[in-house]
Amino acid sequence: MRGFRVGVDIGGTFTDIVLLDDSGQLSTRKVSTNDADHAGAIAEGLAAAFAQAGLSPAAVAEVLHATTIGSNAILERKGVRTGLITTRGFRDVLEIRTLRMPRLYDLRWEKPPPLVERDLRLEVTERLAADGAIRIPLDVAEAERAVVALVDAGVEAIAVCLIHAYANPAHERAIGDIARRIAPHISVSLSHEVLPERKEYERTSTTVINAYIRPILARYLDSLAARLGTDGIAAPLMIMQSSGGLMGAEEAASRPVHAVESGPAAGVVGARALALRCGLPQVVSFDMGGTTAKAGIVEDYEVGRAAEYAVGAGIMVGSRLLTGAGYVLKVPAIDLAEVGAGGGSLLRVDAGGGLVVGPESAGATPGPVCYGRGNQQPTVTDANLVLGYLNPGALVGGALALDAAAAHRAIAERLAAPLGVAPEQAAYGAHAVAASNMIRAIKAVSSERGRDVRGYALVAFGGNGPLFAAGMAQSLGMKRVLVPPSAGVFSALGLLCSDVEVHLSRTWRAMLRGVDAAAMQAAFDALAHEAGARLERDGYAAARREIRRAALMHYKGQSFDLAVPVEAGLPDAAALEEHFHAEHERTYGHRAGADEPIEVVGLQVVGRGLAEKPRMPERLSAVAEGPPLAPRRAYFGADAGWIETPVLRRSALATARHGPCIIEEYDATCLVPPNARASLDDFGNIVIDL
Amino acid sequence: MAEASAPEGSARQRDPIAFELFRNALFSIADEMALTIHRTTYSAVLKDNMDYSTAFCDAQGRLVAQGLTLPSHLGSIPEALAAVMRRYGDDMHEGDVFALNDPFEGGMHLPDIFVFKPIFVDGVRMAIAATICHHTDVGGRVAGSNASDSTEIYQEGLRIPPLRIISRGVHDPVFFGILERNVRVPAMVMGDLRAQLAACTIAERAFAELVGRFGAADTTAYMNDVLDYAERLARAAIADLPDGEWSFEDFMDDDGVEVGKPIPLRVRVTKQGDGITVDWTGSSAQVKGAINSTFSFTRSASYCAIRSILPTGIPNNEGYFRAIEVIAPPGTITHAVLPAAVAARGLTGFRMVDTLFGALAQMLPDRVGAAGDGGNTGVSIGGYDARRKPYIYVDFTCGAWGGRPWADGLDGNSHMFANMACPSIEVVEAEQPIEILCYEFVPDRAGAGQFRGGVPFAREYRMLEEEGVLQVRSDRRVFPPFALAGGKPGAASRNYLLRGGQWQDLPSKFCIPFLKGDVFRHELAGGGGWGDPAARDPAAVARDLRNGLLSPGVAARDYGATP
Repeated sequence: MRGFRVGVDIGGTFTDIVLLDDSGQLSTRKVSTNDADHAGAIAEGLAAAFAQAGLSPAAVAEVLHATTIGSNAILERKGVRTGLITTRGFRDVLEIRTLRMPRLYDLRWEKPPPLVERDLRLEVTERLAADGAIRIPLDVAEAERAVVALVDAGVEAIAVCLIHAYANPAHERAIGDIARRIAPHISVSLSHEVLPERKEYERTSTTVINAYIRPILARYLDSLAARLGTDGIAAPLMIMQSSGGLMGAEEAASRPVHAVESGPAAGVVGARALALRCGLPQVVSFDMGGTTAKAGIVEDYEVGRAAEYAVGAGIMVGSRLLTGAGYVLKVPAIDLAEVGAGGGSLLRVDAGGGLVVGPESAGATPGPVCYGRGNQQPTVTDANLVLGYLNPGALVGGALALDAAAAHRAIAERLAAPLGVAPEQAAYGAHAVAASNMIRAIKAVSSERGRDVRGYALVAFGGNGPLFAAGMAQSLGMKRVLVPPSAGVFSALGLLCSDVEVHLSRTWRAMLRGVDAAAMQAAFDALAHEAGARLERDGYAAARREIRRAALMHYKGQSFDLAVPVEAGLPDAAALEEHFHAEHERTYGHRAGADEPIEVVGLQVVGRGLAEKPRMPERLSAVAEGPPLAPRRAYFGADAGWIETPVLRRSALATARHGPCIIEEYDATCLVPPNARASLDDFGNIVIDL
Repeated sequence: MAEASAPEGSARQRDPIAFELFRNALFSIADEMALTIHRTTYSAVLKDNMDYSTAFCDAQGRLVAQGLTLPSHLGSIPEALAAVMRRYGDDMHEGDVFALNDPFEGGMHLPDIFVFKPIFVDGVRMAIAATICHHTDVGGRVAGSNASDSTEIYQEGLRIPPLRIISRGVHDPVFFGILERNVRVPAMVMGDLRAQLAACTIAERAFAELVGRFGAADTTAYMNDVLDYAERLARAAIADLPDGEWSFEDFMDDDGVEVGKPIPLRVRVTKQGDGITVDWTGSSAQVKGAINSTFSFTRSASYCAIRSILPTGIPNNEGYFRAIEVIAPPGTITHAVLPAAVAARGLTGFRMVDTLFGALAQMLPDRVGAAGDGGNTGVSIGGYDARRKPYIYVDFTCGAWGGRPWADGLDGNSHMFANMACPSIEVVEAEQPIEILCYEFVPDRAGAGQFRGGVPFAREYRMLEEEGVLQVRSDRRVFPPFALAGGKPGAASRNYLLRGGQWQDLPSKFCIPFLKGDVFRHELAGGGGWGDPAARDPAAVARDLRNGLLSPGVAARDYGATP
C-alpha cells in the first residue's frame, strides 16, 4: 500500500481537503465548514475523501493543517477570560495601542475593544531599566494578590508583560512561578518567552493574544487528534504557522500565536514549491477568491516575510500606511497584501462619473446578480459573464446555474447607461479596474519594497485568480503566468509543500563598527541551540536541520530595520556593513555615506527541518476531465472587439496555442488573452507567455 | 522651458475607464512616495507621528494627488509650490530640486521643509513631485525649533526662502553647508532630507512608467481630469447638505506670553448650493506667542473638518478645495504676517478644526460630536549630555475624542487632524535620558453625557540627565472641551512638576530648566460629553465604574448612580 499525505485548509465557507500520494496522484474534496465542530467536519470530509480515492486511513503519512480557530476566536472575541499583569503605571498600554487609526476623516471610527478589559488588567510595583537593571524590585506580596484577584475573577489564562522584560526576565519569571503555585490550572503566558523584543505595545498585544487563544487551540487540537486516532489515522498532525513553516500540534498548542492566521500563508508556500520545481527563482503569488485578492512574493526561492501583522485589520484600502486596525501580532508572517476585490465585489458609478469596483461585496449570499438570489447591483463576476469569460450556463461543473440575462441587464442599466458606453465596454472597464485595484496588492509586496516585478513570473490560483492573471501581468510588464493544477484548492496543496520551521528572534543592540563578534556569535548560538532542540523534538536529527541567521540593522536613528543574512561562523562586521548598504539601496533606492553609523538591533534564527525528498512531486496527475466544450463569443476591448473564442480542457494545451482561449475547470476558469500564448509544462501547469 | 498642456480646445472625449486606471496609478505614486519616507526616515517625529506628506502636482504646480498621510498638510502644498513657481517657474531644469520652509513665502512653520522636484519626460516638464517633512530641529533658541514662547520668527530657526538646492543633479554646497551648521542634530536632518529626495526619485521613476503607458498628451489631460473629478464629487456631496449659515466661537487659554489673555477663534460657515464658505473673520489678532497660523494651515484645518462630513472616496487633491472657500483676514491668528512667531501653530490648527466642528454640529446635529481634548500637547526635552552631545526628545500627543451623537468619544485615539502614533516607552527609554513613569487613563475627567467624552490619559517623564530644557505647549486649561446637546464639558488639562519631593502646578505653556530627578506630569483634557447624562445607559455607567474610569462619587454626582 502506498503512503500518502493529507492537507486540510479550513476557510470561511469551505474546507479544502487534498490527498497526495508519492506518485503525484492528487485528489481533492471541498466540504462545508462547520464552525460548531471543525474536528467533526474534518473527520467526515476525510472519510469521504478516502472513500472517493480508495485509500485507507492507515496509509496516511502525515496530516498538515491550516486552521482559522485562532483568528476566529480573536475576531469573534471568543477566547478565554484572560487577565493581564503589568508594571505599575502601564496597564492601559494594551488599550491605548499606538493612538493611530486606520481611516482618515472618519468621525465614526471605533477602536477594536481590548481583549482584556480594564478591570482584569492589574498592576504590580516593579521596574526595570532598558539595560535590564532593576530600578524597583518586584513587590512579591502584591504580585500574589494580583494573581489571587484574577483567579477570583474567574480568568482561565494570565498574560504577564512588564516594561523592559525582554532585557531581564527575572520579574516575569517570578510572577509566573507565583501563578503556577497559586493556580496551577491557569495557563500563563510571559512576554519574554512569547516575544523577547523591545516595544511594549506590540509585546503586550502579542502576549495577550497568546494567552487568550491558548486554551482554545489546545482543546481543539486535542479533540482533532483524538478524532483522527479514532478514525484510524495514527500519523502526526502538523499545523501551519503564519510564517509558512509547519509546527507540531503540541508546539502549536503552547505557542498558538504562531498559528493564528495560517491559511493564506499556505498558498504562498505552494507558489514557492512550484517555483522550486519549475526553476523560477522570482515569483509573485496571486490568490483571488470571492471577496478578496492576496499577493505574496518569492525571491531567490524564499517567501517574503513581514515582522508583524494585525488580525481583523480588514483589507488594505489602497495604502499600507494606515495602520491601527485589528489586533497586532508581532510574529513572523508571510508578507501578504490583501485588497477587497473578488468575484462578488460590487460595481457602481459614483457621483463624479467614476467607475468604482468594491470594496463592498455581495459575498456568497446573495452573491452576484447572475446567481439570481436577489442582488441587483452588478459584480465583477457579472462583468466576466457579460464578457463571455465565464460559462453562461453554470459554474462549478454545473452545480451553480447562472442567469446571464440578469447580469447583462444589471451591467447595462447600472453601469453602461450612466457611463454612456456599450454594456460590453462597461463590463470590460470593470474587469480592468478590478485588475488595477489588485495590481496595488502586487505592488505593495514588490515595487514598494524596491523589487522590479518585470523579471518575476505570476503564479495565479483561487477561483478567480486565473481569470485576471494574464491581463494583470501584461499591465505590470511581467512575461509569464503559471496556473497550477487544481488552482481552486491550491492553498491546501501548498500545505503539503511546507517544511517544519522554528523562527526565533531577540532584541540585541550594538553598533556594527567595533561590534563584539564573539558576543554576537554567542547570542546566535543560544538561539540556534533552542531552534535545534525544538526541531529535535519534531524528529529532525542534526543532519536534517538547517539553521539560518540574520541580523536586523538600520542606520543609527532610523526606526525601520532591514534583515541581512549572517553567514555561519564568526560574524564579519565589514561584510555585514557592505551587505546592509546594498540592501538599503536595493529596497529604498539610496544609501547613506560609507561612514554613516549602522546599528544592529536584533538577531533572528530560522531553523528548518529538511524533508528527505522534495515535498512537491515531480508532476501532478490531473483528475479525469469531461467532454469537449463549445466555443463562445468573448469581448477583448475596443480594439479586438468580440472574438469567437475556443473553450478548452486543460489537457488540450498539451499542444501550445495562441490566445484567445478559455480553459474551464471544475473550480476555476483561466483566460488567455488574444496576444498571449498558452501551453502545458511537464508539471501540469498552464503556462501563459506574454 | 517647454511645458506640457492640455490639447487645444479640450474637446477631447474622456474615456471613463482609462481615466479610472490612470487615477489608480497616479495615487499609488503618492502613496509609494509616502512609504519610502516612512521606511527610511530617521526621526521619531516622522516615523511615529507621521508628520510628513507626499504629493504629486502637474506641470503648472496644481496638486493632483496627495498621499494618505497628514491631514494638517492638506492645504499647504499649493501655496508652497506657488512660491517656488513665482521664482523659478521659467527656470527649471532636469535634475533640479527646490526647497523652502519660510512661513511667509509658502511654508507653514520652520521645521516643515518642503522639497520639490520637477519631472521631465523627453525634455518637457510634465509634473512636480512634492514632499514635506517635519524635521527634528532647524536651529533657533529652543531644541526642536517649536517653542511656543518665541515672539518673532527670527528666534525660531533657520529660514529658507524658495531655493534651488540641487541644480541639474549637483548639490548646492552653500545650502547644504549652511543647513548642516545651523541644526542641532545634522545627521538626523540630513538623513531625513535624503529620504525626501529618495521619495522624489521614486516618483520620477513611477511617473515615467505612467507616461509610457498612457502617452504624454493623455497623461496631462487626465491629471486635469482628476482635479475636475474631485471637484464634481465634492460639489455633489455638498449639494446634499442643508443650506444655511452657522457660527461658532471657542477660546484658547492664552499664547504663553501674555498669560491669562484668552484668544478667541470665530468661524462662520455658509453653505449655499454646491459650495461652502468657511470664514474666520472675527478671530483674534495675531498674538505674540508662537501659535499663529499661516493661511495655508488655516486652509488645511478647514478642508480637514469639511472633508470629515463628506462621503469617503473623494480624491485627495486641489479639485475638492475648489468647492470650499476659506476666508481669513491677514494679521490675525488665522493668517499671520511677518514677523509673527508660528512654530507652535499646530495647537491652533487642532482648535480650528474643533471650532469648525462646533459650527458643523449645528448643520448636522446627528453627525458631528462634541470637542475632544483640544490637542495636541507638545512636549520637548532637550539639552546636552556630559560629553556635550545633544539630545532632543519631541513628542506630540492627544487622545480623547468628544462624545458623539451615537457613541462615546474614543479613549486613546489620535485627533483626526494629525493621525499620529505614540512612541514606544521602551524605545524612548533606550535612546533618551528620560524615564517614563506612567502612561495611563485618568478617571473622572471625561465629560458626562448620554455619550460621554473620551477618557484622557496622563504621562509622567523623569529626567535622568544633569540638566536640560523642558518646553511644553498645551491648552484647554481655562476653557475645557465643549459639550453638545446637554452634555457636560470635559475636565481641564493639567501640568505638574515634581521637584524636591513637592508637586507644583504649571501653566499650560512654559519653558523651564529640567533638572535631574525632576518629574513632569501632563494630563490631557477630557473629551466633552454629548447629550443629557441622565439618559446614559446604566450598563455603560456600571462598566466605567467596574473599569475604574469613574469613581462612585462622580458616578452619583453626574449620573445619579447609586452603588
